[in-house]
Amino acid sequence: MSSSRGPELIPLTGADAFLRAFDDEIRRCNRANHISQLVLRLGPGFDVGSLRKILREITPANPILSAPVRRRFGLGPPAYRIDKAGRGVPPRLQVHDAQSPERSGPGVPPLFFERLNERHSIRRGDLLRLDAVRYSGGTRGTDLALSWAHMLLDGSGSEEFVRFLDACARGERRPDSLSRAQSLGPAAQSGRGGPVLSLRQRGDLAREWQTHMEGFAAHPLRSLSGPRRRVRQALRYHVLTLDPAQTEHVVKRAVDQAGFLTPMLFYMAATIRAHYAVFQARGVDPGSFVVPLPVSVRPKGAEGEIFRTQVSLLWFQVLPRQADDFQGLLEALKEQRLASIKAGFVESGIHAMDFARYAPKRVYAYVARRSLRGELCSFFFAYTADFLPGLEHFLGAPIENAFHVPPVPPSPGSSTALSLRGGRLNVTHVYQEGVFNAAEHHIFRDQLRTDLLGE
Amino acid sequence: MDWTREALVKVVFEILRDELLTVDESFTPSSNLVATGLDSLAVTQLMLTIEEKTGVWVDESLLTPEMLESCESLADCVHEQLAGS
Repeated sequence: MSSSRGPELIPLTGADAFLRAFDDEIRRCNRANHISQLVLRLGPGFDVGSLRKILREITPANPILSAPVRRRFGLGPPAYRIDKAGRGVPPRLQVHDAQSPERSGPGVPPLFFERLNERHSIRRGDLLRLDAVRYSGGTRGTDLALSWAHMLLDGSGSEEFVRFLDACARGERRPDSLSRAQSLGPAAQSGRGGPVLSLRQRGDLAREWQTHMEGFAAHPLRSLSGPRRRVRQALRYHVLTLDPAQTEHVVKRAVDQAGFLTPMLFYMAATIRAHYAVFQARGVDPGSFVVPLPVSVRPKGAEGEIFRTQVSLLWFQVLPRQADDFQGLLEALKEQRLASIKAGFVESGIHAMDFARYAPKRVYAYVARRSLRGELCSFFFAYTADFLPGLEHFLGAPIENAFHVPPVPPSPGSSTALSLRGGRLNVTHVYQEGVFNAAEHHIFRDQLRTDLLGE
Repeated sequence: MDWTREALVKVVFEILRDELLTVDESFTPSSNLVATGLDSLAVTQLMLTIEEKTGVWVDESLLTPEMLESCESLADCVHEQLAGS
């Protein structure tokens, strides 16, 4: 928070600190960073000059965009050092010419993979960069990637940032009109009102959450990559885009089977079974599947802060025999979701992550993996529903497709995100090279399509 | 306690206004809930709070988008469940 006597600090949220701990692990063990990405596939008319101008204008009003993240004197929660931000230095925006004049189907420019595997200096405020790849062929399209230190923006925030940039270009918003970043305590992040809790009450909630997490050790998991992989990070991704007819069919199946409020459980069940199919092909017992589901705890009904991660995690665990039957698996996930929300794990998880901010990064990552014998989870999963609904153009160019690319540490080495854009379902599978061989990629995608489409 | 429709509308409205949503004075029992940002987590939390107050659990799978149009339509759904319990 701003102070007249001390440096201006904005403490990381609990979720920010969680991501920072794994950023540190990836930096130390895998020579990269925990970089998230959003891709817009644009048609003709993209005004890169306008984007450059807006980025220049919003940076002074939002210095968090280039603020170093440090723990002051090694004490307290890590924080954005706003007083040390590179004032007026906008995020890097580079324009590249594509190697081929036209897009090659659904494939993205290889440069976008490289961005996931590069080093950013978070301690120096190197948090966000943009790359525009232009195609010179008849379509004159552009692929735009925003790549950022994962803690800066969550999925919802990244979409709001894109919407804000476009609104600035059209003169509907002023570059300095975002609510200024400030300290967000656990009460502000819990998504619920109610009485302010004492330190002891918060501690009790955090312990409940820790006990819940340690309970997963009763059925240890094995990820496809194995625990604590110390290899150079080499993430790539594959985007499966279903056509509108297929998407309509899948969305209807998801709503019919999981309910219109919780289609994400349908997609999670399909993703668990896709991973299970690879285990079965290898003849390896996964032990169990432990999967976190990010849930947004952003304020509902008002524009919240964009440049912070405001999520909690609901954790699921199922045994391989439960994954044999899709319907049975789906019912188990429904029951676990309801039980977890009823037990207050959304809120207690926030308190636990809030306390954990004070832990040194190495200790944090070690403790997070300890109870699962070095594993963090079976894979990462996210479902973010409609991508930028209502926004048809971005800086003058039609948005032909758009999707998230959630990063993943080399262990567990596999992450799947689903979202809808323009009536088409996008499934982004991010993986560490070497975790899946060519045959296993086919097995994974075939099983996923089979369960999504009910073929 | 006998829950009238009006009492349920008031309960749903107050839970949403005071605990689950960040809304201003323009928020009324007729306001569109989806437009205010009500998501699946908030709906489940709302149903759990209603269960605490009324003793009746409204199965989420019974909810339709139409029922989530406003506090009033949601209260109608809860009222039907209570009448049938």
